[in-house]
Amino acid sequence: MSFFEMRHVIVQFGGLCAVCDFSIALGAGELVGLIGPNGAGKTTVFNTITGFITPTEGDIFWQGQNIAAFPAHRVTASGIARTFQNIRLFGDMSVLENVMVSFHFSMESNFLLAMTGSSKHRGLEAEIREKSRRHLDELGLGHLASEKASTLAYGQQRRLEIARALATGPKLLLLDEPAAGMNPIETIELAALIRLIRDQYGVTVFLIEHDMKFVMGLCERIKVLDYGKSIAEGTPAEIQKDIKVIKAYLGSGYHAGG
Amino acid sequence: MTTTIFLQQLVNGISVGSLYALVAIGYTMVYGILRLINFAHGDLLMVAAYAAIFGIGIFSNPWIAFPLAILITGCIGVLLDRAAYRPLRNAPRISLLISAIGASFLLENLFLVIFGGVPRPFPRPDFFARVIEIGGLRIQVLTIYAPLITILLVLGLLYIVYWTKAGKAMRAASRDFETTRLMGINLDRIIALTFLLGSCLAAAGGIMWAMKYPQVNPFMGIFPGIKAFIAAVLGGIGNITGAVIGGFLLGLGEIMIVALMPELAQYRDALAFVILILVLLFRPTGIMGETTVE
Amino acid sequence: MSDFRGPAGAAQIQGNLTDRQKTMLNAAALLCVLGILALFNQYGSEYHVRILNNMAIFVTLAVSYNLVNGVCGILHLGPNAFVAIGAYTSALLTMSPAEKQLNFIINQLIWPLSVVQAPFALSLVAAGVMAALFAFMISFPVFRVRGDYLAIVTFGFGEVVRVLCNAAQSLTNGPLGLKNLEPYTNLWWSWGIAILTIVSITKLINSSYGRAMKAIREDETAARAMGIDPFRPLLLAFLISAFFSGIAGGLLVHLITTVSPTLFIFTLTFNLLIIIVVGGLGSTTGAVVGAMLFAWGGEALRIVENPVDLGIIVIPGIPGMRMVVFSLILMLVIIFAGHGIFGRREFNWEQLARFLSRGGKRVGSP
Ligand SMILES: Nc1ncnc2c1ncn2[C@@H]1O[C@H](COP(=O)(O)OP(=O)(O)OP(=O)(O)O)[C@@H](O)[C@H]1O
Ligand SMILES: [Mg+2]
Repeated sequence: MSFFEMRHVIVQFGGLCAVCDFSIALGAGELVGLIGPNGAGKTTVFNTITGFITPTEGDIFWQGQNIAAFPAHRVTASGIARTFQNIRLFGDMSVLENVMVSFHFSMESNFLLAMTGSSKHRGLEAEIREKSRRHLDELGLGHLASEKASTLAYGQQRRLEIARALATGPKLLLLDEPAAGMNPIETIELAALIRLIRDQYGVTVFLIEHDMKFVMGLCERIKVLDYGKSIAEGTPAEIQKDIKVIKAYLGSGYHAGG
Repeated sequence: MTTTIFLQQLVNGISVGSLYALVAIGYTMVYGILRLINFAHGDLLMVAAYAAIFGIGIFSNPWIAFPLAILITGCIGVLLDRAAYRPLRNAPRISLLISAIGASFLLENLFLVIFGGVPRPFPRPDFFARVIEIGGLRIQVLTIYAPLITILLVLGLLYIVYWTKAGKAMRAASRDFETTRLMGINLDRIIALTFLLGSCLAAAGGIMWAMKYPQVNPFMGIFPGIKAFIAAVLGGIGNITGAVIGGFLLGLGEIMIVALMPELAQYRDALAFVILILVLLFRPTGIMGETTVE
Repeated sequence: MSDFRGPAGAAQIQGNLTDRQKTMLNAAALLCVLGILALFNQYGSEYHVRILNNMAIFVTLAVSYNLVNGVCGILHLGPNAFVAIGAYTSALLTMSPAEKQLNFIINQLIWPLSVVQAPFALSLVAAGVMAALFAFMISFPVFRVRGDYLAIVTFGFGEVVRVLCNAAQSLTNGPLGLKNLEPYTNLWWSWGIAILTIVSITKLINSSYGRAMKAIREDETAARAMGIDPFRPLLLAFLISAFFSGIAGGLLVHLITTVSPTLFIFTLTFNLLIIIVVGGLGSTTGAVVGAMLFAWGGEALRIVENPVDLGIIVIPGIPGMRMVVFSLILMLVIIFAGHGIFGRREFNWEQLARFLSRGGKRVGSP
């Protein structure tokens, strides 16, 4: 059995088939890309994996369970974290607090201990704070810890989203257009960061991206989606030569390859 | 229960329901565009009733006084949007709703300060007050006119919404606010028109309400308002036809339940909320609403 | 007065105080408050004592209301129901069986309640527990929806409870209400509960639970993606809010010594809304300050509704004027100063110290 597998997943919105019979298997430690023209259904695939949408049909196997019907918070607890295409930080909270939130679900305390300020609870809080600080340092955001999240620059916000997702302790990380809106230097740094996450944290990465140079340079395997259907799968070199992929992208004005 | 009483209650229910329907339309239209529960909408009922009293006092002719009262109320509705909601178009939703609650309290208490808390009798024109007998049923003609007037007004509204340019813009805005703005349509004008139409209908409902229960006081709008809102939810908020159906259903349901189980009479005002909660639990999109994914 | 801690960043700012120092300052502030209360208890006029009691009850209510509306960011419009349930629970427990018989003349009070009697402290706990139990029961429908719908559903439950207060006569004595309660509520009780509420809710807000609530307020979808089941923090806030509101209800009726359904109409909720909006939605400090301003201002504004005797002429009082002023304040604040007095900031000693030292320098420099 694969590390992670989606089998014949179908998602329908009214009459529209946003994802049609989608299957994919990911191996542990892989770095896989998901590409496709606008509106192809990529984000919907991620929403389905992470429990924000229940698929109309199909199964999603993860850690020996079918998680297709899990609510979002349970999916995260089971070890799959994600970022969002349109950044969704806790804007009015500090960078540090944003990361600390990720430790809440696994905290073993209760509200009475919190309200009475028991030393056990205070110890746990201090531990979370310390872990979050270290985490931010590792991802190069330590100097921003006390800033309000909404005041960060765009690239930093994307980075914080990744840091926050990573803090939930995932084994599989889904990144939805992490390079969107970044300048070339930030994009290079991001690629390095993603490699670091895979190599040092041992997290499997599945990412959506429109920046072809970025995807082709980073991912080991790529899946192409068009109108909800998978039209190709292979190494970057294979995908660049695939006639169906070129057609799909020409049709929507994109250029494959580069 | 005898057939006569049953029929009497049936007619009564339809008539109350038609008033809920008129008020519900305003809620639904505003919600459709602004995604706001206009808490102060019910109070426009009361404003219209006072305006009508003074109108009759001055012109002693309901055919001048009532349309005038409706128009004045419509303008106050537009003013309400201008003063309380428009400055908050880009504010968090919670602010908008709080402003609406504030506006409601302001209207009620302003009228209390100006006109006092003693209920005023509403001068019912003979035309509506007559009682006729049909097959043993004694019915005030208002009870029959109310649903008819409602249906006429609704047809007029549907004409505006579906056949005029402004109406089309209104529907576009309620489907997709941002795109409509980008298309260069003056949204503030469209919203003002929405408030005008909704408030005029509420005013018509308010005047008929005052003729039905001829006691006018600053707080008379609260309950019909809330129930009309519930009717709007019941019908599927954002949907005009739904609001009308919801209004009739709620009026009828409320009166019939109390008629069948008189011991529930004192819980009548709570009943509507129970219906609301059940609807939200089991069919949050209402009767006419489509099931959309948020 | 309590352990107000600023946002996470505060510890980084230089010149900060140690935890020990802060504890000392908190203890000193608490002593000050107790001293002031002791003075008023001894020498204050009945009028001042009543205002102080009112302040404490409103502080308790506002701080608990802010936990749901300000911290979790949802618009809950039914705290009047919590207060009502607490009020009736507490009153029915402290009244002696004989007194109950005198009160319930039309309908008899139902059995176990008609014979039991409990001390005030126990009745307050029961008031809190009953209110929280009610909150638990309604939480499932309430948290199925969000936004305006949640507002209207909670408003609906508030109204249902108010209707029940009038209608369930063998429990509440209907519109007649309950009379001749013992005036148990004094400054120690009211402020004791207020301080307990402030301290425990502040600790909660500054804990991981509070962060989860704020995360839901900021972006519920993102919070879910971080492993948080929104229902749980929301329910927690709702229950705790109900618990303290219920206790405040018990305090309230043992202050005015009567219970009547009209105490728990929507206006109560409206007043609480003004308090937390003016204080700053999301700030406990704001709720405390807002509540104190309201209790004081509400009393001061009473003159506009009472006739004023100028010796020669009597200006008649204008009923409703107070609410006109209040609703204007609410609208003006929300439209022109949406953040209220404190925004989402909290009181903390470091800022106070910095503020004072800056002020001192300016005075000394010329
Ligand atoms: N919640 C929803 N309800 C209805 N339709 C939806 C919903 N979410 C997505 N869709 C539709 O499903 C299709 C796929 O959308 P999706 O966001 O998955 O595309 P995408 O590949 O991520 O596109 P992009 O590259 O622009 O991000 C689109 O036509 C979209 O309009
Ligand atoms: Mg997408």
